[in-house]
Order: sequence, then C-alpha cells, then structure tokens
Amino acid sequence: MAARAEPPPYPVPWTQGRVAGWVATVDHKRIGILYIITSLVFFLAGGVMALLMRTQLATPDTDFITRDSYNQLFTMHGTTMIFLVVVPIFAGFANYLVPLMIGARDMAFPRLNALSYWLFLLGGIVLLGSFFAEEGAARSGWTAYPPFSAYASGNGQDLWIVGLHILSISSLAGAINFIATIHNMRTAGMSWMRLPLFVWAIEIYAGLLVIVLPALTAGLTMLLLDRTGWTNFFIPDEGGSSLLYQHVFWFFGHPEVYVMILPAMGIISEVIPVFSRKPIFGYKAIAFSTVAIGFYSLLVWGHHMFTVGLPFGLQIWFMLASLTIAVPTGVKIFNWIATTWRGNLIFDTAMLWAVGFIGVFTIGGLSGIFLAIFPFDWQVHDTYFIVAHLHYVLFGGSMFGIFAGLYYWWPKMFGRRLGERLGKWHFWLTLVGFNLAFFPQHFLGLLGMPRRVYTYRDDDLWTAYNLVSTAGSYVMGFGILAFVANVIWSRKHGERVGHDPWLADTLEWYATSPPPPHNFDKVPYVTSARPLRDLRRRMAEQDS
Amino acid sequence: MGSAILLAASGLTPVTADSPNAERIEDLYWVLCAIAGLVLLSVAVPLVLFVFRYRSRGRDRTIEGPQIHGATRLELAWTLVPIGLLVIALAFTFYKLPGITLEAQAGERELEIRVEGRQFYWQYEYPNGAIAIDKLRAPANTLVKLVITAPDSDVQHSYWVPGLGGKFDAIPGETNDTSFKAKVGVYKGQCAEFCGTQHAAMLAEIEVIPVDEFDSWLEQEAEAQEAGDSDLGEEEFLGACTKCHGPQGEGLVGPGLSSASVSDAENVAQIVRNGRGRMPAVGEEWDDRQMDALTSYLRKRFAEEGQSGG
Repeated sequence: MAARAEPPPYPVPWTQGRVAGWVATVDHKRIGILYIITSLVFFLAGGVMALLMRTQLATPDTDFITRDSYNQLFTMHGTTMIFLVVVPIFAGFANYLVPLMIGARDMAFPRLNALSYWLFLLGGIVLLGSFFAEEGAARSGWTAYPPFSAYASGNGQDLWIVGLHILSISSLAGAINFIATIHNMRTAGMSWMRLPLFVWAIEIYAGLLVIVLPALTAGLTMLLLDRTGWTNFFIPDEGGSSLLYQHVFWFFGHPEVYVMILPAMGIISEVIPVFSRKPIFGYKAIAFSTVAIGFYSLLVWGHHMFTVGLPFGLQIWFMLASLTIAVPTGVKIFNWIATTWRGNLIFDTAMLWAVGFIGVFTIGGLSGIFLAIFPFDWQVHDTYFIVAHLHYVLFGGSMFGIFAGLYYWWPKMFGRRLGERLGKWHFWLTLVGFNLAFFPQHFLGLLGMPRRVYTYRDDDLWTAYNLVSTAGSYVMGFGILAFVANVIWSRKHGERVGHDPWLADTLEWYATSPPPPHNFDKVPYVTSARPLRDLRRRMAEQDS
Repeated sequence: MGSAILLAASGLTPVTADSPNAERIEDLYWVLCAIAGLVLLSVAVPLVLFVFRYRSRGRDRTIEGPQIHGATRLELAWTLVPIGLLVIALAFTFYKLPGITLEAQAGERELEIRVEGRQFYWQYEYPNGAIAIDKLRAPANTLVKLVITAPDSDVQHSYWVPGLGGKFDAIPGETNDTSFKAKVGVYKGQCAEFCGTQHAAMLAEIEVIPVDEFDSWLEQEAEAQEAGDSDLGEEEFLGACTKCHGPQGEGLVGPGLSSASVSDAENVAQIVRNGRGRMPAVGEEWDDRQMDALTSYLRKRFAEEGQSGG
C-alpha cells in the first residue's frame, strides 16, 4: 500500500466521501460510469440466463430446467439485454462523453441526470427481483403479447410492467437531458457539421426515445389495467383487441431497435478514423444517414406483424419502408470501409471490435432484407431465423460497438488502458463463439424450428445445429470472462496514459484522463470536426 | 461421404416446399440469397483486402494516411447501386406474389377447413361438421383453404406447416386464411407464436391422401362421430389432455389421471369446459358430441387400465 496522502487542510463535505461521493454525485462522468458498470453487471446476469437456455437446448428432450423456468428465462433475458444493458449503457456512454465531446462543463440538468440513473437501478432491481415473486418472473416474452400476458397468473408480469414503467421514466428524463445538452451547451465553434458523429447518434437516439416511449407506457398501462380486471383493452373475450397491443408495442419496439444500434454506429464512426489515422469518409453522409434511419424507423413497425393478417396494401407499404432503411445503413458501412482505405490501420483491441462490427453487422443487416420481403417472412417469422437475425444486429452490432467503445474510452474514464493481450482473447473468443452460436440458427429457422420452445423434436439436423449453437455460446462465455478478467487486471496493471493516448480527433481527449470534475480549464475554439488534430498540428507548427 | 455432403447441403436450405405457394416462397429465398451474397461480397472483399493491405506493420501512430474527406460520386454509387438491387428484389417479389396467395380457378374444387388454435392443440372442423385434433387429413392435389382463428377466451397461436407455405396467426377475435395444394405425404409443423407452458408441444401434422380415399373417409368419419363410435375421444385425449397430463395420463405439468378422477362424466365435462386452477378451459366451446366422445373414452381407457394394472 502506498502511504496515505496528508489529509486536506479543510473539512471534506460528506458528499465527497468515498461511497457518498458516488451516491450523491451529480457529475456526468461519475453518473456515466455508474450507468456503464451497472449495465455490465446486468449484462453478466442476462448472459447467465442465455447460457442456462442454451444448456437446456443442447440436446432434445433435456430436463435441465423446467418449462416455466425456461419461459421466464427467455422473457427476462430479452428484457434484461434490451432495457437493462444496451439502452442504459448507451445512456452511460452518452453521459460520460457528450458534455466532454461538445466542450461543456456538465449535462444541462445534472440533478435530473442523477435521478435518471437511480431510477434505472431501481427499475433493474424491480425487474430482476421479480424472479422471487409469486410464480416467478414474467413468462410471456419480452413482447408480452396479450391475451396471454393479461391472463398470466402470479405477480411476475405486474412487476415486469412496473419495472419497465420505471425504466421508461429514467430513459425519457435522460433523453430530454441529452437533447437539451446537445442543443444548448456546445462550445464556441461547435456547429452541427462539426459535431462528433457519436453525438449525432445520441441526438437521434434521444429523439426516438422521446417519440416512442410514451407509446410503450400507454400500452403497458392498458395491459396492467387489463390484468387487474378493471378494463379490457386487449382482451377479446370482453370485446377488446389483442392486435391493438401489437401495433402500440411495435410502434415503440421497432424504433427501439434503432435506439440500440445508432449509438453503436456512432462509436464505430469515432473509432474507425482514429485507428485508421484518417478523417471519416463522408462525414455528412454518415450524419444524415443517421437522421434518415431514425425517421424511417418510425414507419416500419408492421414488419413485425406480417403474419397477423394485415391488409395487403399495408404489408406492401411496410415491406417498402423496411427495405428503404437498408440504403442509409449501406451508406454507413461503405463509408467506414472507405475510411480504412490507404490508412495506417492500428489494430488495438478497439479497432478489432470496430472491424468485427462491420463484418457481423452486415450479415445481420442482410438477413433483415430477407425478413422485409413479407412472403418470405411468413416462413421464418417467429423461428430461429429471427433469433439469429436479432442477435446479429444486437450482439454483433450493439455489443460489438459497445466493446469497441469500452476499449477506446476506458483510458479516458479510468486513466489506464485495458490490457491488449486479454483484450485480444476477449475479441477472438467472442467473435468465434458468437458466429458458432448464431449462424446455425438461421438454418434451424429455415428448417422449421420455432423460437421460444423449451425443447424440440429429435431430428438429425436440428439436434446437430442446436449442439453447435450451445457449444458456441460457451465459447462466447469464455470470451466475456476474459473481459471481466481484463477489467480487474487493468485496475492495477493497466498501462497509465496521458490526455490523448490514441492521438484522437475529438475534444474529450483534450481533458486529463480521467478529467477533473469541471472537465476543462479552457476549451479550445473549434474550427473543424477534428479539434484535437487541429490542436496537435498548431502545436507542431509552433515547435518548428 | 457423398451422402454426408448432401446432408450438410440440405441443412442450408429451407424445408422442401410441397405446395405451389411454398415453392414460390423458396424461389424468393434463392433470389434474395443471390442478392445478399453479392452485397456481402462487396463488403467483405474490400474490408479484408484493406485490413491486410493497409495494416500498420509497426508504422508509428503519428503517421497519417491521406486526408481524404469523401468523394461524392463514390457515395452516390453506393447509394444508387443498393437501391437498384432492392428494386430487383422487389420486382421479383411482385412477380411471384400472385401465386403465393393461392386462389381457386373457376370450377376448381376448394375444400375449406376451419383451424382453431387452443392451449395446446389444434382443432380442425371440416365442412360436413367432422372434427379432427392436431392431425389433419386432406385430399391430394386439391386446393385446401385453412381458415385460422382462436376462440375468444384463448390466447394467440400461429399455424405453420413449413413444407406447405407460410404461417398465419390464430388470434382470438380475428380470422386469417391460407391455402395449400399438396401431393400425397405427411407434413409436419407446430405452433409458432408463444402460447404458454406447453407451446413446444403444440405440434401439427397434415396427412395428404388420394382424393377418393379422403372423400369416403370424411363421410364415414362424420357419420361415426354423429353416432358416437369414432376415434374422436382418443384424438381429444391425445391432443387436449396428454400434453399436460402426460402421454399415458400419468401426470406431467398437471396431475395424473385415474379411473377415480375421470369416472364422473359430468364432473369431467365441467372441468374441461371451464378449466380449473392452472388448467385452461381446453373444451370451452365443445359441443355435446365432442364432450361425450372424450368422457366415454376416458372412462373406458382408465377403467380398463385400472383392471389390467390391478
């Protein structure tokens, strides 16, 4: 142990104590770190649920867990990964980075920001605590379609609804805060066309949340009331319409998918140029494609409902609108690839994740085109093809982006780099395991295996693909363990870094690592989208 | 060796399509695969190439690549070319679409069968009133229209036999339909919308038999059900009871059945109609003919077992 520093010559207020300093903080950086660490803990919990399910499915007719446990697990795995991991971890990144990237001292509403975090933690505890409710956690899927979810006995479903209500308030407050911050607190010279692409992504992320969360809240409130027996919005037996819920849910649910992928794309747009030693190719195209994707995401919810018997004209509309999203998505992918052209590509772990993202996300995007063609969707809807597709976009997309971001900004947050050796184990094990786990699931879906089944019929190919998928999930598990080991290892042994270890482009690297509570003593005037590079060049000119 | 390769290759394709609509969907699949393959190549080839060609190889981080900020023509190209590919995919979809929803030609025979999804079995009703559970018999090379729904008191299901075309949801209060036209054979499927504890056990099967054989079977079956000497009771037991009470009624999710618990027909009918505790009302809209078939089958089956098993 190092010798303790002299006590400061003034009394330290209780709000700056070692624990209280985190509990009472309104500093966007501490709140950001709280968000990220909490989300990662939930990520481990959701991962354990996934491994339990894959163990059950390794061979047909397994009795590893009961039917009802399985149904609770797939419900809570989806809910956890979406509402407790991907959405809030981006709120964490955004909290930490947006004020630094735009040269601000903090978020627009620091206290509201702290409230967002504590509501998130509370919502998470309510959701995961529901495993201990009467008859266990909710077991009607993360989509909670009535009438099944309206009839489900026990209190798990009620806690699920209340948990999501709490998380929605948290997300909504956070989203309003991000929008207010981005619109009002940009430093001198930081025009919209100089805004870091990650901040662009957060602007659209927050905008979408503000538009669609009220729909979820309304739908879930009606469902909760139906469950009490007072109303019958979604109960056909009493004259309600269960189809109405699907429209309300997917009006929220589809934009939610883009809420979970746009910030990952924002991270990739920051990492690729820095590790290619080049500017981003087509800044405006990437920024505007983010806006376009956000807009179109509001018009395509019906492609989740191609099998409910929508009018033919609507099916055609939802097919056209869904296919349209492929275009701005493709624009981003080709721009990232063009950014690497003739670069000096430095494969630190962050860059590995970013390049891995381009590969696996493209596969997820392409299977999405299959699903947009509604007659084909009639075949694979609600099968393992969908499970494969959504994991290619949400793990191969969102989580790969999140890992890229963690390796990239870890030194800024903690003053030390994550280890490269463990980082590479983490990346390669996860990449191989991920593809082993999820690629065969496309074929399972084509062969007719529905999703959300606790067992399946014994058929040579079904059994083989399921076994490979389970083996892959274990390999992924080891990859994630390497990450946990890396986090622990780096606390003592990670290489210490200065302001700007990657020679990056954006303002957060102007502050110390980690930055002081007030972020900047002085913010340089911003004259381009790459203020740090401009600064380095000015300093080099002065030296020579 | 050859058969192993064949087996592996067959795993990469959808279930063999055995109805014109399913065949057209499979055609769509292959066209989409070609387009997706093309796009995947156009992403993967430059990505892999650049990763190897431009990797740092120990060059210092301070060495920058050329400061290229974009190229309008290139960006237009990778906006317009994908639009072109999507238009091709759409054109092919619209070309195949008319055949994907099968319509009866003028004068062609069409058999309409009502399909109800229920926790956790499928109930079929033929035009002449005959009932079948889980396993449907259908005439070969005849257009069979399935009218799919669920009772108001039930939950959502989705009827899907992959070889015979797409799935359609069985939603309380809504009606969907789909058609197929198949050769003689047995086609398997199962419920595709999560519907509860035994969702995974909600299997469906369509046995397609020659038309003459079907017509005479259907007539006899309707008469036998009317007279009360058909196998309907056994079908109902297998479809509606065994999924929760075990394949032999020995107990699984629900309790085991015994001669004592099934001897009182009125009591059984009351439970089957209304459900009890966690048991859904599996026979809520059954008519007396269906209910009598089940109660008499149960009494017979468990009484016999009670005697032989001692």
